[in-house]
Amino acid sequence: MENFPILAIMTLFMGAFINSLAGRRSYKARCAIVFTTMAISLILVLAMVPSVMGGGEIVCYWMGGWAPEADWAYGIGLEVDALSLFFGLIVTIAVMISGVYSFTYMKHDDSQVNFYTLFLMLAGSVLGLVLSGDLFNIFVMVEIMTFTAVALTAFRNDTEGALEGAFKYLVVGSLGSMSILVGTILIYACLHTLNLAQIAQMAIHARNPVMVIAFGFLFVGFCTKAFMFPFQPLAADAHAVAPASISMMISGVLTKCGVYGLIRLVYVLFQNIGQTHVQYLVTGMGCVTMFICVTMAFNQHNFKRLLAFHSISQVGYVVTALGLGTALGLSAGLYHAINHTLFKGLLFLVAGAVQHQTGTLDLDELGGLSKKMPRTTALFLIGAASISGIPPFNGFASKWMIYQAAFSKAVNTDNFFYLLVCGVALITSVLTLASFVKVAQSAFFGQCSVLCRDAEDCEKGMLVPMSVLAVLCVVLGLIPDQFGTLFLKPAAGAAMDPGVYISAMLRGADATVMPAIYGYVGAWNPVFFIVLLLIVTVGVTIYSVSAPLRRPEPLAEGDVEDEHVLPENAKYEPFFSGEESVHSHVGGSDLFWGFKENWKKYFSFWHDWHSGIVNDYELYGVVFLAAALIYCMLFV
Amino acid sequence: MTFNYFVSFFFIVLGLFCIITRHNLFKVVIGMSVVDYGTNLLIVSIGASNKGTAPIYAEGEILPGTWFVDPIPQALTLTSIVIGACITAMALSLVIKIYHRYGTLDTREIRRLHG
Repeated sequence: MENFPILAIMTLFMGAFINSLAGRRSYKARCAIVFTTMAISLILVLAMVPSVMGGGEIVCYWMGGWAPEADWAYGIGLEVDALSLFFGLIVTIAVMISGVYSFTYMKHDDSQVNFYTLFLMLAGSVLGLVLSGDLFNIFVMVEIMTFTAVALTAFRNDTEGALEGAFKYLVVGSLGSMSILVGTILIYACLHTLNLAQIAQMAIHARNPVMVIAFGFLFVGFCTKAFMFPFQPLAADAHAVAPASISMMISGVLTKCGVYGLIRLVYVLFQNIGQTHVQYLVTGMGCVTMFICVTMAFNQHNFKRLLAFHSISQVGYVVTALGLGTALGLSAGLYHAINHTLFKGLLFLVAGAVQHQTGTLDLDELGGLSKKMPRTTALFLIGAASISGIPPFNGFASKWMIYQAAFSKAVNTDNFFYLLVCGVALITSVLTLASFVKVAQSAFFGQCSVLCRDAEDCEKGMLVPMSVLAVLCVVLGLIPDQFGTLFLKPAAGAAMDPGVYISAMLRGADATVMPAIYGYVGAWNPVFFIVLLLIVTVGVTIYSVSAPLRRPEPLAEGDVEDEHVLPENAKYEPFFSGEESVHSHVGGSDLFWGFKENWKKYFSFWHDWHSGIVNDYELYGVVFLAAALIYCMLFV
Repeated sequence: MTFNYFVSFFFIVLGLFCIITRHNLFKVVIGMSVVDYGTNLLIVSIGASNKGTAPIYAEGEILPGTWFVDPIPQALTLTSIVIGACITAMALSLVIKIYHRYGTLDTREIRRLHG
């Protein structure tokens, strides 16, 4: 049992090496190697679930047998508690699905051996990050992760902008890596240890300026890895140009590493989430990110770039929730984290399927895909409903918990700020829905565009992984309470009670920590919403069945002939007036033109802000780093 | 030792300044390397000791009053140097590819992804 974490990580890295040696032979050999390694790793992680999640056991493994002596950790340790395992599950499941999808999706690319080698290294580094119990180890894994993710982003380097996106990601991402390294080193200078449990044990007794600066650096570092507010242009660039399975990895897995790092940092290492100013910092970051990114998504014409902004917006939800510092908030955040991986992965894979079949991602060129790719459209609608928070899908369950957590925090503390947080979260959710209506309208419904004439549903190899994600989306939405008791409660409890983490790693160590207050609150009852949905569906059905009775008289023959001489705004008329004789497709950018016209200044400001120049992005990052350090020095 | 800390943070800030203000891709990569060197100097300085020697002792040789430098930061520095070299190599290979494709090294012209 205690060897399972290291075996799960090593299998992926060994798979990368074996693949580059033997995978060159044939497509089948490559697939077999990659699938076996991913499956072994998934099984090893799943095997730890019953005892860690159910039994509350913590799996410790010391590399080379260097166990701690006299309560002082010398060696490098792996420590898997319920929180690590929760993220480990997210990672391995997403890797499995993304890998299986790649078998079909990447079939026509060249140098696939390199692709899978990098892919497995990425998977291994991410798993190593979440299972690690050593701060420097985390830094090394972050670097491997960034390195392989950059290489994979630029993998299809004939795509427009692929190299550019990768270069920006590398340059600005290295600011985050540097921050994590400097933070690690400053902690080492104060405490002379790199072991997470030991830092957690000593950090609360060592409150000095250097530790505060270290906190600031680590905070900014993990924010970079989660693509929080000033770093979101990187995510947008990288997602839009990477292959779809890698977009899924970046959005579903890499951002989760940043989130995991933030949770470890504020709940376990420094245990300062109880301080109001730390809560302001983390929650404020999340709120700003989710609002700005969702409005940025309004302007996008590229399917995957739009999804990228939504992805960061949803990560903003996760960070907001975990910054509340309550048990309900943390479990809501964790729940939304796994849901985000599922629905965002599904949406990216759908975008990949659309690109695979039509050759374009431009929303203005797509249209009418629902007739050509009905299954993909159905999957897209499930993903879109989940991300917009429509019951009974999973996005609703977790968003509901987030609103509830923010609102109860506002009531308990009498603080207006949290009420504002709740409001921003609600508005963001509405804007998300609006944005997905736009995608559905311009890509899947409406008139069939020229490029989509010959499109057809994609192969089974791509449909099956997408369907698995869709099923998981529905299932997790229907059983929130059971899922909460089985997974969220142990995971959130592990983060809220660092004493257990410390004493499991350093046996018999004195573990004075903040008291654990944990009560799981039931979130919502899906049955009511299914009834509501049924009533609405029946209503709509009755309405549409009776529609022929109300349809106006068809136009006379003579009126149709001046169809070619359309008035200036004819394009908008069918959508707004319901006229059927004039049929023209409303493009994605036209659907909300009134809204965008009213907020023109706001939108053009953020449009210019995302200038695409790497110097500017680095400047935003450095300003954010400086601001975070000053904030930490003043208040934390 | 305080002098080392000043120099290392000076290097980090200088490197960041270089990345922010220079528009040539090569200079951006050089800036990244300078940040790396600053960080490495910081790590080594933390483990260093003025009177210290190399930490190679047999059991029983360490007496009270023996000074030696902390070996862990040195190991960390080696790792960090290797990672930095990889990142530089990767960045330079991307720069070459970008030059072939865009025909320029000016960051202000390499902005097809924006907005």
